[in-house]
Amino acid sequence: MEEKHTVLPASAGRTSGEDGPDSEDLVVVPIRHYGRWIASAIVLLFLASLVHSIANNPNFLWPVFFEYLFSEVMIDGLELTVLLTVVAMIVGISGGIVLAVARLSANPVVSGLTAGYLWFFRGTPILVQLIFWYNLAALFPVISIGIPFTGPTFFEGSANDLITPFTAAVLGLGLNEAAYMAEIVRAGILSVGTGQDEAARALGMRRLLAMRRIILPQALRVIIPPTGNETIGMLKMTSLVSVIALSELLYSAQTVYSRTFETIPLLMVACFWYLVLTSGLTFAQSVIERRLGRSTAAASARPNWLPGWRRQK
Amino acid sequence: MTGPMVRADGVRKRFGAHEVLCGVDLTVDRSEVVCIIGPSGSGKSTFLRCINHLEKISGGQLYVDGHLVGYRRRGNKLYEMREREVAAQRIDIGMVFQQFNLFPHMTALGNVIEAPIRVRKEPRQEVIRRSKELIDRVGLSSRMDAYPAQLSGGQQQRVAIARALAMRPKLMLFDEPTSALDPELVGEVLDVMRDLAAEGMTMVVVTHEMGFAQEVASKVAFMDEGQILEMGPPRELFRDPQHERSRTFLSRVL
Repeated sequence: MEEKHTVLPASAGRTSGEDGPDSEDLVVVPIRHYGRWIASAIVLLFLASLVHSIANNPNFLWPVFFEYLFSEVMIDGLELTVLLTVVAMIVGISGGIVLAVARLSANPVVSGLTAGYLWFFRGTPILVQLIFWYNLAALFPVISIGIPFTGPTFFEGSANDLITPFTAAVLGLGLNEAAYMAEIVRAGILSVGTGQDEAARALGMRRLLAMRRIILPQALRVIIPPTGNETIGMLKMTSLVSVIALSELLYSAQTVYSRTFETIPLLMVACFWYLVLTSGLTFAQSVIERRLGRSTAAASARPNWLPGWRRQK
Repeated sequence: MTGPMVRADGVRKRFGAHEVLCGVDLTVDRSEVVCIIGPSGSGKSTFLRCINHLEKISGGQLYVDGHLVGYRRRGNKLYEMREREVAAQRIDIGMVFQQFNLFPHMTALGNVIEAPIRVRKEPRQEVIRRSKELIDRVGLSSRMDAYPAQLSGGQQQRVAIARALAMRPKLMLFDEPTSALDPELVGEVLDVMRDLAAEGMTMVVVTHEMGFAQEVASKVAFMDEGQILEMGPPRELFRDPQHERSRTFLSRVL
């Protein structure tokens, strides 16, 4: 049986509109959201006036902003920020995977120590940790690697030479990040049903193989989105290492404005680059998430070019 | 080797204070199909999972192909096996789960070739060729590259059977393989299992499909409250159950 009337999209226009109730085609008139139009107009008006006042406020020193935007000192800082983010995240993610597996270990000593690690690194401010690592040489003037208490040492060096501001920054950011990543990875592993592990074991797989081939790839779907957020967070967190005189983006801006007193435009340059990087990361994150979602693509049809944050209806 | 494929002597399993299996005795000969029936919570699935050591037994002895499952005996001591040895034992025992448990991040073919390549370390091309034959045998040659989410329940379960067969097991365990399926999809899975039985595969099947048990099983075991109360050829057991509880159960399901 056909429906009594066909619902047409509003754009289909009027057909035999005024024919009365027997008409085949009735036009649907959507609700007019007058309130939205008014609210939008008000908000846009405020935005325009804000942009106008910022653009025309001479105190922002826009010529200075453009002068330093691509200057060598800022680009060098930008490069160091990117490098720090990448290296710290590599340390954080690999450390996080190891810690997550250790946290789930059946060995009470291993899982207990891991819990202690998480407790310490998540319980103290990252800024304090960075300063601590930077001053490590004061605690341990000589760093050596060997068998504890006895035996030969394989490696020995002065802490002052080993702990440069860069290594201190990588250690501080990376080890701290590992603690947070451990919880993310652990949640991801736990999100994979026990049936998957049982199926893998029933096929004769050993624990590590099942973890690598079956559990972790599925856990990634849960792990990737918060890891993207962590990376974006890390990018901004690298600005903290300015306290240990490492010339990343913020410190570069500071060195310039401490000399020229053009504080605001230099900070605007730094913010501009942070925004460029975080936008890039957000986009990359959505691409990766889409790739990983392939196996369930049939279950949830979605336009395959939309970035993640627009995916919801 | 001769002798039974599975031999259970007084197998017990306790979860805390709760005893799920209280002395299960069962022998499964080569090429035999044994169906285990019984009310839910009677320990059928737990017993099946003990056979490939997904559950550790708390008492009794369990042999597969003449070897103790999960333990090595030296003198009068049982040594628990290392993970590597347990894994090696499982290679010869295929298992099919109620919830299929296909790997959702791999295609149908990917699911089937994974273990032969990674566990048995067989050459990839050879495994792919053989796996394609297996997928063809379960009637899914056109869905080779589909992901589990794109397959119906019945298709997923058939891929799961092909995945287990790809390891060339001596024994197949089926844990309620059709219980999670829509009624109209049950038949296609049972057909595959029927063929497998006809080819002489040794099978232990926990099932609620009485028709299948009646037609395919060489023995049917009725289990209740952690014990096998009655066992025999399907015709006898279904027609003339001896035990009070099996009589009540069968009158309800037949």
